[in-house]
Amino acid sequence: MTYTPMMGGSAGASGGAPDDAVATFERHRIELRATKRVWNILALVIFAICLGLSVWVSRFYPERLADGIPRIFEYFATIMPDLQWDALFAGRTEDGSAVPGSLTYWYTDFWTYLTLIFETVLMAITATLLGTAVAFVLSFPAAANLAPNTWVYIVSRRFLEICRGIPEILLALVFVFMIGIGPLAGVIAIAIHTAGALGKLFSEVNENASSRPIEGITAVGGTWADKMAYAVVPQVAPNFFSYAMLRFEINVRASSIIGFVGAGGIGQELNRVISFYSDDRVLAVLILVVLTVTVIDLMSERIRLGYIGRENFA
Amino acid sequence: MLKLDKLTRRFGDNLAVDNANLDIPDGQMVGIIGRSGAGKSTLLRLLNRLIDPSDGQILFGDADIARLKGKELRAWRSDCAMIFQQFNLVGRLDVITNVMTGRLYDLPAWRAMAQVFTPRERAFAIQALDRLGMAHTALQRAETLSGGQQQRVAIARALAQEPKILLADEPIASLDPMNAKIVMDALRSINREDGITVICNLHTLDTARDYCDRIIGMQDGRIVFDGTPDLLTTQMAREIYGAEAHEAFNEAATSTSLGASSAPVRASA
Amino acid sequence: MSIAAISAVSDSQIAAVRAAHPGAFATPAATIRRWAPLAIAIIYIIGSMWYFDFGRLFDSSERVLRLLRSFVVWRDMDTWSYSQIYVGIAQTLAMAFLGTLLGTMGALFVGFLAARNVMPVRVVRQIVRRILDILRGIDQLVWGLVFVRAVGLGPLAGVLAIFVSDLGTLSKLYSEAIENIDRKQVEGVRATGAGQIGIIRYGYIPQVLPVFISQSLYFLESNTRSATILGIVGAGGIGMIIIERFRASLYDQVAFVVLNVLILIFAIDWLSKRVRLWAIGEKHDA
Repeated sequence: MTYTPMMGGSAGASGGAPDDAVATFERHRIELRATKRVWNILALVIFAICLGLSVWVSRFYPERLADGIPRIFEYFATIMPDLQWDALFAGRTEDGSAVPGSLTYWYTDFWTYLTLIFETVLMAITATLLGTAVAFVLSFPAAANLAPNTWVYIVSRRFLEICRGIPEILLALVFVFMIGIGPLAGVIAIAIHTAGALGKLFSEVNENASSRPIEGITAVGGTWADKMAYAVVPQVAPNFFSYAMLRFEINVRASSIIGFVGAGGIGQELNRVISFYSDDRVLAVLILVVLTVTVIDLMSERIRLGYIGRENFA
Repeated sequence: MLKLDKLTRRFGDNLAVDNANLDIPDGQMVGIIGRSGAGKSTLLRLLNRLIDPSDGQILFGDADIARLKGKELRAWRSDCAMIFQQFNLVGRLDVITNVMTGRLYDLPAWRAMAQVFTPRERAFAIQALDRLGMAHTALQRAETLSGGQQQRVAIARALAQEPKILLADEPIASLDPMNAKIVMDALRSINREDGITVICNLHTLDTARDYCDRIIGMQDGRIVFDGTPDLLTTQMAREIYGAEAHEAFNEAATSTSLGASSAPVRASA
Repeated sequence: MSIAAISAVSDSQIAAVRAAHPGAFATPAATIRRWAPLAIAIIYIIGSMWYFDFGRLFDSSERVLRLLRSFVVWRDMDTWSYSQIYVGIAQTLAMAFLGTLLGTMGALFVGFLAARNVMPVRVVRQIVRRILDILRGIDQLVWGLVFVRAVGLGPLAGVLAIFVSDLGTLSKLYSEAIENIDRKQVEGVRATGAGQIGIIRYGYIPQVLPVFISQSLYFLESNTRSATILGIVGAGGIGMIIIERFRASLYDQVAFVVLNVLILIFAIDWLSKRVRLWAIGEKHDA
């Protein structure tokens, strides 16, 4: 009973104040909404300009897309194998030719592919080992808290940045020119990139290492190398290991495509079958590549978790 | 004989150690007291050269420790062992390797890098651990030990250095009273039996009175008291500790009981 | 019982300590176990050096020098078609932008299809996820090569390659974000009697949108980097100019373009770091 009249009374009696409050609030709200709207419109305009420019520069026009999309499906149809159920597991005939429609026919070059996949994995292992070794050595001078002096720090840091900055495939292109077609160019290219990428990660791990053991080793009269070997390495080793294994997984992918520029591995064959044939061979190689990458990922995860234990993986 | 001559360390405008002059004869057990921030820790770190002095000299024999560089500096650090409040062990290495790091200065570089230790070094490390009653933990990772045990391993590492001087920076500040007593007893036995000079930062007054031959009081970076424990009056101590007096005396009260129980051990020493 | 100096430790003392603490001393087995990984790695490296014929690295010094010289000595710079080069760079940026945009739009839809709490039909969800696995399993560069065969040389193939591989990865990330949302807010919207579309619009989108945006921005950055090399297989952008010049033995121009690419990559790194810092700062204010 008293509540409603009071509301009415205050509004009627001392008119000005509450009205002002409401008006101020409304004015603020409108201002706020206006600025927000300006920002939204601005963002939208920028976005539209980017979109327009992008479409124009890359000639991504609807009619080109409309032309292209059917062709994509046509292409995928051509790379499908023509398997027949009754001949699926047929071996070779007496004269050594495979029966069309059989798996043997689809994977005629199976052993070639397998050799190349073996080479791809070897490339990845070698490149990971070499790159990790370089990254390990440089990660100490490239860590801000461990570097013996500023110059060493800057030089090693820049070196790692350059190694990481150049895409592997560009490096491979250059190395293929310098030392010829073959897996060696790929190994070196991936190793350099690995050194850069892991070196950065390793040095960040080093920067998070506790300084107490380092102080302890300093106090017994240890050299800089002693401090790294006894105080830092034991702290960072599990992290280094899991980063290196993750990098190995990435490197298997990289070495499977680095052959596009002639740097060895299954990528060289993949490039060849895609560029010269439009038939089931393309899918045959693609399936093998995806399978290899998946299997390696699973194995590497096993090793990683087995070595450092689930609780330490962070 | 360790001699500090006008030793000074500045951090910006702040004088952490201000014109410290001291003569410490060999084989003395010295306690440095003062409230936190008085410069005790800085003084100890200056002696081990974990921090470089801004001014003044540290003389040990004829050598000016304050000017040492490179290999000579490492030689000095190896002669002048240091024990830390937080133990500063390498947690992921096993205890015996932690102790053997005390030998690093004498190791050829390739052996240090490959972590190859001779049977003699291993036996010496085990003996050092055994002296602290820690030999049974030799193969455990240091991080699995309790604080008191880690501090004992740190003392064994210091012993493995065959030091001439042992510096201890608040060695018992992170420990419970029981472990504090074990650690202080160990430091005193090293001082008495091996004749090694021990310089020890202590926060609590009573521990210093119980264990040290000589007490040095610091306040705002300056040495304000230097004498035997019986010369340190309550009035003087209150002045040294200032606002923290209450805390220091309280802790002293709790460790008095321990001090009493340690009396027979002292008699046997 | 003061301990002797290390030099005074006698052989009999060593023997006694060894008897009491055999584990503290190096045994042949422990030594082998310690050095085996390193030994295997070294043997492997030596073996693979032979397998990969590392010696060639040193046989080719003359070619290396020639290449390095032509990288450094830039000739006839006024005849280089700079407009082509910078159009290539613009094309690279455009490909990354369009590819990420399309990938985001596709993932907005597919992500919900692959999320356990939105798509109750198990079969659909599993099929969608397996397809996404395949899209992710094939490298972007392979997609580029495939699309070049399908739609011809040029940036269209590049956009499609980025779109497809982003669709695979972003959809997975989005669906994970959707699965991790706070259920109570969704139930609140459901309680108002909203339909499935309404629930998604008011229950899910407000929660997942910030995650979606930050992930897409991150992908925009990484796609700009990977778009620079898509051209190597003919899928448009600056990579195509690099490989053209390389095949034509115009190494000085290659060096110039690569330098531009590197500057572009470092600029993107710097910019995206800035944007991320700014975004985090914004969140702090809110």
